[in-house]
Amino acid sequence: MADTPQPELVTITLNGVDTEVRKGQLLIDAAEQAGTYIPRFCYQNRLKPVGLCRMCLVEVEGPRGTALVPSCTQPCTEGLVVDSENAVVHKAQEGVLEFLLLNHPLDCPVCDKGGECPLQDHTVAYGPGESRFVEEKRHYEKPIEISDLVLLDRERCILCARCTRFCDEISGDSLIEFVDRGNGTQILTFFDEPFASYFSGNTVQICPVGALTAKPYRFRARPWDLEAIESISMVDSVGSKVSVQTSQNQVLRINGVDSDTTNHGWLSDKDRFTLQAIHSEDRLRVPLVRKDGELVEASWGEALELVAERLGSVRGDEVAGLGAARSTNEEAYTFAKFLRSVVVTPHMDAQLDDALSDEFLAATLNRAEINDLETAGTILVWAGDLKEELPVLYLRVRRAATILGATLIVIHPRRTGLSDVADHVFTYRPGEGADTLRRLKAGDGPFAEARQALDSGPVMTIVGRTGGAEDPRLAESVAAFARTLPDAAIMPLARRANVYGALDMGVSADLLPGRVSVRDTEGRTALEDAWGPLPEGRGKHATEILQGLKSGDLKALITLGADPVGNHPQPALAGEAVESAEFVVSLDTLLNATSARADVVLPVAGFGESEGTATNLEGRVQKLNRIIPPPGQARTTWSVLDDLARRMGATLGAHDAETIMKEIASIAPAYAGIDWALLDWGEGRDGVVLPGPDGTQPLQHMPVETSVTATTGRFTLHLGRVLYDNADVVRNSPSLDVLVQPASAAFHPRDLAVLAVQPGDSVRLAGDYGTVELAVRADESLAEGTVYVQANMDNSRALGASLIVQVDAVRGEGS
Amino acid sequence: MMDPAIDRVLTRWSPERQERARAVLAAYPERRSTVMPLLYLASREHGYCSREAMVEVGKITGLTSIQVESVASFYSMYRRQNVGKYVISVCTSISCFLRGADDVLAAIEDETNTPDGETSDDALFSVEHVECSGACGGAPAVAVNWELIEGVLPDKGRALCQWLKDTQPETVLADEMQALFGGQQSFDWGIAEPQGATSHVPAFERYDSAGDAS
Repeated sequence: MADTPQPELVTITLNGVDTEVRKGQLLIDAAEQAGTYIPRFCYQNRLKPVGLCRMCLVEVEGPRGTALVPSCTQPCTEGLVVDSENAVVHKAQEGVLEFLLLNHPLDCPVCDKGGECPLQDHTVAYGPGESRFVEEKRHYEKPIEISDLVLLDRERCILCARCTRFCDEISGDSLIEFVDRGNGTQILTFFDEPFASYFSGNTVQICPVGALTAKPYRFRARPWDLEAIESISMVDSVGSKVSVQTSQNQVLRINGVDSDTTNHGWLSDKDRFTLQAIHSEDRLRVPLVRKDGELVEASWGEALELVAERLGSVRGDEVAGLGAARSTNEEAYTFAKFLRSVVVTPHMDAQLDDALSDEFLAATLNRAEINDLETAGTILVWAGDLKEELPVLYLRVRRAATILGATLIVIHPRRTGLSDVADHVFTYRPGEGADTLRRLKAGDGPFAEARQALDSGPVMTIVGRTGGAEDPRLAESVAAFARTLPDAAIMPLARRANVYGALDMGVSADLLPGRVSVRDTEGRTALEDAWGPLPEGRGKHATEILQGLKSGDLKALITLGADPVGNHPQPALAGEAVESAEFVVSLDTLLNATSARADVVLPVAGFGESEGTATNLEGRVQKLNRIIPPPGQARTTWSVLDDLARRMGATLGAHDAETIMKEIASIAPAYAGIDWALLDWGEGRDGVVLPGPDGTQPLQHMPVETSVTATTGRFTLHLGRVLYDNADVVRNSPSLDVLVQPASAAFHPRDLAVLAVQPGDSVRLAGDYGTVELAVRADESLAEGTVYVQANMDNSRALGASLIVQVDAVRGEGS
Repeated sequence: MMDPAIDRVLTRWSPERQERARAVLAAYPERRSTVMPLLYLASREHGYCSREAMVEVGKITGLTSIQVESVASFYSMYRRQNVGKYVISVCTSISCFLRGADDVLAAIEDETNTPDGETSDDALFSVEHVECSGACGGAPAVAVNWELIEGVLPDKGRALCQWLKDTQPETVLADEMQALFGGQQSFDWGIAEPQGATSHVPAFERYDSAGDAS
């Protein structure tokens, strides 16, 4: 990627002191960097300045004398003379605050913002102390519920437009706006339409008063009672920086933390509100052991003895492990080490064959960082709907396309959250991706302009599986093409929070820790020096593991935070596999479809309860921190595995998570030099991006090019993800659970006519792996011959992910 | 090529207004710039600036419905509540006030049996007081569906209401009403407006919204 040029500096005089600042930088930012905070309400560093609230007025010398100007709209120029602290400025600040307080209720004692409220703080610091306004203040009905998550107290609003600007500029969901501009200006939604945005929580966080409050936090705590710690969101693989805020060992709030590298301070509502799942009543608190067909509470000793005995009674390679994609690197490493060196099995998978190949994810050449979006000339997104799958990455791509002016090309089987801001949108029928790619490469017909845009670099390509039924090799073909483009940077996508880390830790049939191929004899020998003898050859992937369990080749299954029965693309196979297995042990935080059928369930620490590191989709290792103890008798995963290893007559040497990281750094080539101390406050706060593969790295994954047979006849299935699906964390977060919509079957209107069905009618979808009945919906953005079904919902899960499905109308009998 | 979303909305409109909407869209490089003229057209289509009208304008302009409402709610001439066939606007700003506008307003409220700011039960009249109509030289001024009459005294105001009630013209014309009920005029307005107004939506020649019987 292009080098960032050195910024040009100018000298300004700020309160009598000469200061060097970046030319054109906004005065309010320049002053803050120089140590002078200028009060503000409407200005937010990630939003465009509007100069609306007038709180940041400063006195600037001009050719015709001094004048008060808003420092949030004043660019720094050579010789600018500024006074932000003189009597004139103070008078202006007092005036602004007196005006803002005319209608602001002084209900701070019952307001959630009280104690962390910019209006309160600025009034104390800069305000007049008393108001001359003695008339009646404005009153509104309060609070009004503008969505299932957000409440609005209009009388507290100071009309700074931060929330509306966020929706307009950043998220693109302009569902709230000023109405009745004039004396009665207020923020409202359109009649009874809800503020249904995936990003609504951000408006609550940036509201400078208590006008917008989030239901899950409202009246739960006072800010001064909160303890906070910085960590990383474990909802998806973006690795957004968060502040986890607790009181009395309860996580009460998660706020975004501004990080230049990842989330810019923004979070999705899923990042923000799944905290409710941490304290779900259904959290596992004690070990469970199946007796007479029922899971009953047991002591750790009893449960672990049983697991050790059962795992010891079968051959090592008859055992398989699934999971660790939502664990920390330290936990995943312990899991891989336990499986390979204690159980001695090569069969393990951090994924459930629902994304891309392990080697492609772990070791893509020309791997992109998120920040490559800032300099990209052209962005090609050929992946799932980012708004649904990785919402914060969607915000970053949207920013690049709308604010930074990159040319955006989106290719997906239907319209996506990015379609509105894309320059070129192409839809295709699943199964015909290879043909679409061929036409894009050739600049065929409608692809001509997009193909031309791909010649102006730097080109950032985001590739992923557009839907569960699509051939995963298509993404590799796209990547192979993308590598030929100028200044190519490629980001292969998987969703689960630490799936990249788990693969890097060697929870993979193909990979050893540190992105070393199992076929790499040198790397393998090096690992054996540390771990002892390793099982031979390549292991089984998730689907092969399930097939093995079903056929009896495999006897036992260990899951770590994974739910194959609930999430594998072949639900029937997964169900049968778990039923057929002689022994299943699950390490998890909640009971899911798999662990509910396990023989032993071991409760482990989850988000906020264990310390460690995680590796995000750009290969950035960041620190996760612990602020609360795990519930009940739940223990950290690594200590459970260590205990289990000792009971099996081995040792993992896992005494604490930090030591495990040291071991990882010494064993996993790609993690050499990574240390917790490095990732703490200061320099390493934004984490460290691991070097991508080059000549010196043991693994170089060259994407394969394959063609996928285009299908004719019947319907091809687009099994796309939605943000609020049947995930455990959503189901266990009451605020989000209500937002889950049942799945439907969407068709192009012409297909509806062919099928002779109307929206609302039912159809039966029969695929290779299962059959479901769903209500019909029209979706014009789909190619004809395609049926779009939301993945992983209660009523769609049984369908599985087969590319071809037979669709039949369900006719009501006798009606 | 026109967005199919636009077509879906416009094909529900009357052919004349469809054509006008397309002309408006063609006149601006950015779709969102057309929000104000389209709000007039949609108001005509729906009788007033209803929820449905704002939704449709949103679909045409690519704005969200609330962004459209944000614009519509700023301007009092976009009626977000339904109004009578004749909206009688009495100017009560300084010049008209000094020339007895309050008495004119009272007379009109009495004659139509409709208080200021309300609509008569038979939906024939809406009565309102407005800020300066720009006819200070001919104060007091009254407008019927924005067709302006100058020098209207209280009894002429009553006569105007009676006339509207009796004849119920489809088109009201400023010149005609001026001759019947007006008094002193400020000056000759110059541009002849022979079309008159057929509803409370202003008959701006620019948008060609006049002369269209809804």
